[in-house]
Amino acid sequence: MKFTEQFLWVIYPYIALTIFVVGHIYRYNTDQLGWTAKSSELLEKRSLWWGSMLFHAGILAVVGGHISGLLIPKAFFESIGVNEQMYHMAAVYGGGPAGLVTLAGILILTLRRFGNDRVFAVSSAADLIVVILVLIEVSLGLASTITNVLSTGSFDYRETIGPWFRGLLFLQPAASFMAAVPLVFKLHVVVGFGIFAMWPFTRLVHVWSMPIEYINRAYIQYFSKDLKVKSFH
Amino acid sequence: MEKQELPLWKKLNFFKSKETAQNGWSQVVADDRNAETIYRKRWNYDKVVRTTHGVNCTGSCSWKIFVKDGIITSENQQTDYPSTGPDMPEFEPRGCPRGASFSWYVYSPLRIKHPYIRSQLLSLWREALTKNNGHLVKAWGSIVEDQDKAKQYKEVRGKGGFVRAEWQEVNEIMSAMLLYTIITYGPDRIAGFTPIPAMSMVSYAAGSRFLSLLGAPMLSFYDWYADLPPASPQIWGEQTDVPESSDWYNAGYIIMWGSNIPMTRTPDAHFMTEVRYKGTKVVAVSPDYAENVKFADNWLPVNPGSDAALAQAMTHVILKEFYVDKQEKYFLDYAKQFTDMPFLVLIEKEDTVYTPGRFVRASDLGLAVNKGEWKPVLWDALQEGPAIPKGTIGQRWDSTGQWNLKMENESGEALSPLLTFLGLEDEQICVDLPEFTEGGTGIVKRGIPVKFIMKNGKLLRVTTVFDLMLAQYGVKRNLPGQYPIDYYDEQTYTPAWQKKHTNVETELVIQIAREFAQNAADTLGRSMIIMGAGINHWFNGDTIYRAILNLVILTGCQGVNGGGWAHYVGQEKCRPIEGWGTVAFARDWSMPPRLQNATSFFYFATNQWQYETHSMDGLKSPTVTKSRYSHPADYNVLAARLGWMPSYPQFSENPLQLSTKAGQAGAETSEQVISHVVEKLKDKSMSFAVEDPDNRKNHPRGLFVWRSNLISSSGKGHEYFLKYLLGASHGLLSEPNEELRPEEVTWNNAPPEGKLDLLVTIDFRMAGTALYSDIVLPAATWYEKTDLSSTDMHPFVHPFNPAINPPWEAKSDWDIFKSLAKAFSTIAKEYLPEVQQDIVAVPLMHDSPGEIAQPFGKVLDWRKGEVEAVPGKTMPNLVMVERDYKEIYNKFTSLGPLLEKNPVGAHGIAFPVKEQYEELKKSNGQITVPGVAFGRPAIETARQVAEAILTLSSATNGKLARKAWEDAEKKTGMELKDISAGRAGEKFTFKDITVQPRQVIPTPVFTGSNQGNKRYSPFTTSIDHLMPFRTLTGRQHFYIDHEIMLEFGEAMPVYKPTLSPVLFAGKEHNPLTAGKEIVLRYLTPHGKWNIHSTYQDNLHMLTLFRGGPHVWVNHRDALQADLKDNDWVEVYNRNGVVAARVVVSHRMPRGTLYMYHAQDKHINVPGSSITGQRGGTHNSPTRVHVKPTQCIGGYAQLSYGFNYYGPIGNQRDIYVAVRKLKEVAWLED
Repeated sequence: MKFTEQFLWVIYPYIALTIFVVGHIYRYNTDQLGWTAKSSELLEKRSLWWGSMLFHAGILAVVGGHISGLLIPKAFFESIGVNEQMYHMAAVYGGGPAGLVTLAGILILTLRRFGNDRVFAVSSAADLIVVILVLIEVSLGLASTITNVLSTGSFDYRETIGPWFRGLLFLQPAASFMAAVPLVFKLHVVVGFGIFAMWPFTRLVHVWSMPIEYINRAYIQYFSKDLKVKSFH
Repeated sequence: MEKQELPLWKKLNFFKSKETAQNGWSQVVADDRNAETIYRKRWNYDKVVRTTHGVNCTGSCSWKIFVKDGIITSENQQTDYPSTGPDMPEFEPRGCPRGASFSWYVYSPLRIKHPYIRSQLLSLWREALTKNNGHLVKAWGSIVEDQDKAKQYKEVRGKGGFVRAEWQEVNEIMSAMLLYTIITYGPDRIAGFTPIPAMSMVSYAAGSRFLSLLGAPMLSFYDWYADLPPASPQIWGEQTDVPESSDWYNAGYIIMWGSNIPMTRTPDAHFMTEVRYKGTKVVAVSPDYAENVKFADNWLPVNPGSDAALAQAMTHVILKEFYVDKQEKYFLDYAKQFTDMPFLVLIEKEDTVYTPGRFVRASDLGLAVNKGEWKPVLWDALQEGPAIPKGTIGQRWDSTGQWNLKMENESGEALSPLLTFLGLEDEQICVDLPEFTEGGTGIVKRGIPVKFIMKNGKLLRVTTVFDLMLAQYGVKRNLPGQYPIDYYDEQTYTPAWQKKHTNVETELVIQIAREFAQNAADTLGRSMIIMGAGINHWFNGDTIYRAILNLVILTGCQGVNGGGWAHYVGQEKCRPIEGWGTVAFARDWSMPPRLQNATSFFYFATNQWQYETHSMDGLKSPTVTKSRYSHPADYNVLAARLGWMPSYPQFSENPLQLSTKAGQAGAETSEQVISHVVEKLKDKSMSFAVEDPDNRKNHPRGLFVWRSNLISSSGKGHEYFLKYLLGASHGLLSEPNEELRPEEVTWNNAPPEGKLDLLVTIDFRMAGTALYSDIVLPAATWYEKTDLSSTDMHPFVHPFNPAINPPWEAKSDWDIFKSLAKAFSTIAKEYLPEVQQDIVAVPLMHDSPGEIAQPFGKVLDWRKGEVEAVPGKTMPNLVMVERDYKEIYNKFTSLGPLLEKNPVGAHGIAFPVKEQYEELKKSNGQITVPGVAFGRPAIETARQVAEAILTLSSATNGKLARKAWEDAEKKTGMELKDISAGRAGEKFTFKDITVQPRQVIPTPVFTGSNQGNKRYSPFTTSIDHLMPFRTLTGRQHFYIDHEIMLEFGEAMPVYKPTLSPVLFAGKEHNPLTAGKEIVLRYLTPHGKWNIHSTYQDNLHMLTLFRGGPHVWVNHRDALQADLKDNDWVEVYNRNGVVAARVVVSHRMPRGTLYMYHAQDKHINVPGSSITGQRGGTHNSPTRVHVKPTQCIGGYAQLSYGFNYYGPIGNQRDIYVAVRKLKEVAWLED
C-alpha cells in the first residue's frame, strides 16, 4: 500500500479529528467572547435571509443524509426492510434537492460575503476561507450524488466509504476501503476533513451552541455564590 | 485568588442534577457567578477625575469621571460643594440625566476622530497648488475667484464626501484662506462664532484670541440667541445679573414665568421645591401644562406672547392698591431712592396735543454744572424746586468721585424727591399715550398734573415719571381723561382688559398681583419672579420683560436677597471676567478687538433682510406720524453710521489698505489718516459694507465655528443660511419681497449664494454644523481637556480636567488654534511679512465715555448734515491698530506688554495688574524664544491659560478684588473695601478648585455680593452700598427717553401683541395641500432629553422618548387635521419645512405647536414631500425679525456692549401649517 493512501485515509483524518477535538476544547476555554457566528445582519439583510435560510435548511437535511449513509451500516437498513432500490431512491430524491438547496444557500452567502463591501470589510481571513471551503465541499458532495445516480450499481459508498469511516471512529482504520472510490468522492472526503481541521478556528463553532438547556430549564433561576451549599431550605 | 474553572468543564455541569424548589419552577443555576464580572468590571475604575460639562445648560455641575485602563467608564456627581450655611439646603449633588449620559459620546460613532475635509475641495486645492507652483495664497484665490470651481465644493456642502486629512495640510489650507482674504478683502471679512465663555473659558479664548490678533471679528451669541433680555440694559444698564439658585430659598413668594424649572434648571430645581416647605407660595405662568406647573399653587395659563398684558394688569393693581389707595412706605421709599420715578420729564406740545418727551436735564434749567446735559433732575420737596441728585451718569463721568445713590444733591445737601405733582400742579393736561392691540394701534388721552418751569423765556411743562406711569396704567386719581372706572372696566391696563389678550381670569390676576405685592411689603422685598426664554424670544420680548420687571421694582424686591428677577437662559456668568476678557480678545497685545453683534451679521449675510414682511410703519407709535424708516435694515445702517452698533465687515474697502491710501493722499500722522477716512465716508467714495452687503467685496468669506452647532441649533432662518451663506441645497419656499425695500441698503436682484469660502468647524460630534462645513477638526471632549467653567446658578468656579488624553487625533481647542497659529505665522512670514496698519471702527461703548456721546437721545445724522462727523462722538470711533501677521503665534502663546501698563477690568471697574503679571512670569514660566514674546509669561498650554485667567480676575484673586473695590470707592466716594476684606488673602489656583469647589470672592464687577456667605443676588450692592445702576439716572428705569423709543411708543412698558401671522406672502411657493392642514403658532422651547442639540443624538437619550424629531400639538387641533399620536407630519411655512412625529397631548394649549429646541437633522429625519430634501431642523420654519429700538446706541445704558445690547435674533413670532406626511421617505437609496 502506498504511503499516500495510508496518509490520506488514515493519518490525515486522525490529524484533522485531533485538531477538531483539541481545538474546540482550547477555543472554548480561552475565547468565550469570540465563540459566535458573528452576525452581519446589521450590515446586509436581504440576501442574508435567503442565503442563510436555504443553507441551514439544506445542511440539516444533508447532515441527516450523511448519518444514514455513513454511520448506519447497510445491514441495519436491510434488516428493517429498506432495500438497495429504496435507499437509492431516497438518497437521490431526498439528497439531491437537499444538496441543491444547500448549494444555492452557500452560493448566495459566498457572493454576499465577497460582493457586499460592508460585509467584506468586516470579514476575517477565516470567514473568507471557510465560506469558500464549504462552497467547494457542497459542490463536490452534489457532484458525488450526481455521479452516483449516473453510475447505477457499479459503486456503492455504503460498502466502501461507510465502513472506512466507521473504522476510523472505532480506531480500526483501513485505507483499503477507499481504493476503488471515484475521485469526486475522494475529493469530497479530503476537503471535508480539511473543514473539520479548520472548524474550531472559525465561525463554524456556533454549530455547538444550540441553547438546548432552555428546553427543560426552570423559569426562575437562582445564582449561588457557592454551589456546594444548599440554597433552598 | 480562587482558581478559575475552565468554561468547558463548567458547561458540563449541565448534566449534573440541579437543586430545585417550588415544584421545579425555580432552580439553582448550575454555574458560578463569574459571568457577572463582565458587568461588574464595566463599572470598575482605577482613577477619578474632577471635571464638568460645557454645554451651556447653566448647570456647571462638578462631576467625577471614572477611568479604567485609560478608558472612561462612567461619570457621577460630586458631592463636596462648600456649605450654603445653616438653615439652608445645600447645592450638592448637582447633575441631571443628560450629563450622566455624556461618556457615551467619547467612544460613540458620532465622535469626530480625525481632521476631515470635503473631497471636492481637497482635489481642487491640490490641483490649484500644482498649477500655482506651490504658491498657497494664489492657489486659494484661483479656487474661490473662479465661480465654477467655488460652486463645485460649495453646492455639495451637507452632502457628505468627507475624507480624512492631515493636520498639516488642513492648517495650510486654512492659513491660505486667511491670508488670501486678509490681503484681498481685509481681516474683517473673517469671523469666529463660539458662544458662552462661561461654559469653557479657555476653549472660547483659544479661537477668539487667534482671530482677535488677526483683526477678525468675534460674533456675539447672547443677543443672537435671543437670550439677552434687552430690558435688562434698558432698565439697569447691566447685561444680565441674576441670583444664584440657592437664593430662591430666601423668597417668600415665587412666580415662575416662562421658565420650566425642573426641565431646564434640573440641578437647581430642588431649591424651588424645598422653599415650598417653608410656606412660600409658588405660581406658574405658562401656556401649556408644563412640568413646573405641577409644583404651583396657582396656574395662570396665559396665551402665548401675551405675558406683557398680564403683567401690565398686575402693575395696575399694585400701583392702585400700594401707591395710590394705600401708600406703602417701603415701596415709596424704594421708588424714590432707587428708581427714576421722581425724575422730571418734559411734556411736549404740538398744536393741542401733549406727549411725554425726554428727561429734564440740569442744562435745561441753565444750571452751570459740568456734564449738565447728562444730569437729569428731580423735584426736591425740601427745597421745593428742581434738584440734581447724585448718582446720575453725569456724575459718573464728571470726575468728582461722588457717583452714588445717597439722598443728596450735588452739593451734599439732603433732598427728598417728590413722586407726584398732584396737589402742587400748575395745570392738569391730557397726554397722548399709545395703545397697541391685536386690532391695531390707538391713542388714549389721560390727565396728568404738570408743573411749569420758566427758562430763558420759555415755558417748560414738566411732570414726574410716576405721574406718567399712573396715566399709562390708567390708575384713576380724579384727573381728566379716559380713565377706567374700576378693575372690570376693559381699558388699558386693567385686569379685565388683560383677559381679552391673555385669557386669564380677571379675579385670579388681581389676587396674584395683590399677594405678590403684599408679600413684598411684609417681607421687605422677598417676592421673586423666575423668568426665562419662554417669554423672552419674542419680537417684543423687551416690552414683555419691562412689563414683568415692573412688578419686582415697584415692590422694592430688586437688589434684595430672596427677591427680584431671576432670569435664566444661557450660562452667562463668566466669573473670572477680567482675566478671561483680556486673554480671550488679546487685549494684552492690541486694542481694540473687533466684536460684532451676530444678529446683524447673520441678518445681512443670510439675506433675511430681503424677505421682510412687516413694515415699521405698522409697528410705530400712533403718537408719531411716520416711522423714520419702513425697513428694519435701515435702522441697522443708521446704527452703524452713527456708531451705535459695530458693523463688520466694516467698509467697502480693505481696512489694511486705508492708511496706505491716506499716506498716498498726503496724510502723515494718524490723526490725518483718520480724518482722511472720515472724508472718504463723507464724500461717499467709501461706504459702510452694510450699505451694500451683497457686494462680493463686502460679504464675509471665512467662518470658524467651535463649541457650537450654529447651522442647526441656533441658525434661525436655517434655510436662508443654507442658501445664501453656504450655497447648499435648501428648502426655502419664499421669494425676496421687493415691495418692502430698504432705503439705505443696495438691493441686489441676484445676491451671491455660498458667500462663505470656507466654513471650519471644531467639534467632537458630527452634527449639523460639522456636516455642512468644509473642514472639520476633531476637538477634545469635556473629559479630555483643561478648562474653566462658571455659571449664574451657583457661586463656584469649576475646572475641567482631562480624564484621558484626547483619543485618536483629537486635540483641545487651545491646541488646535495654537497649531493653526503656528502654521499661519510661518506661512505669513513668506506672504505677508510687513507690519500692517489696520483701521478699526469701534462703536460708542457702554461703561466708556462713549456712552455720553450723543446727548438727549436725539438722533443726529452726519450724513444728512444734521451734525458734524466726529469719530467717537457722532460716528464710530476709528482706531489704528498694528498687525504683525508673522508674530501671531508668539503673541498667541504669551501674555503681552499692555498688561504692564493698562489696567484690566470690566463693567467700568478697572485696576492695574503689573504685580500679577510679574507673578505669572514665575508661576507659568517665561518664553525663552527670542522675539516679541521673550521674557513674557507663557500661556502655551490650556493649564497656563487657566492660571492666567484666575490670577488676573477679581472674583478669584483677593488682592485684585480689593483693588477693584478701591477703584469703585474712588468713583463713588463710598466705603466699599470691607466687602471683600475678609478674603483679601485668597488666590484661587487651578489646583485649588480641582481639590474642592471654591466660592468666588465678592467684586464690584458684578452688581451683587456674596459677602459673609450671603447668597448672591444682583444689585444688592446698589441697595446696600448705594453704588449706582449704570444708567442715565443712575437708577432703575421705568422711563426711557430716546427718540427711537418714543417713535415706537416704548418710553414706558407697554403691551404689544405678537407680529401678525404671515404663513406665505405673495408669489411664494405655497405647496398644494393634499389633505387637511391646520395653522398654528410655532414655538421652540427647551426640551427634556437634550441640551440644545447635544444629547438628543445620544443613544441613552434617544431611548427615553420618541427617538427622533417630534412636535407637540393639542388633541383637538390634532383632530382637526386628522392627526393621531405618533403620525409623521410636515410643518412648514415660507421659511422652510421640518418633518417630525406628532405628540398629541392635552397638556398643550390650542392653536400652538411646540417643537422642542434643538432638533438637528442627522438622526431619524425623513424626507419632506414638499422640498424633496431631508426634513429640516427645528429652525427650518423660523427666521429672525430685527427690532429698531434694539439698534439704539451712544446713549447712556443704551450704548453698545458685546453681548450686552443690540437687536436680538428673536424667532418666536412665527406661524406654521401642519399636515400629515402620507408617505415617509428616508431618502436612503
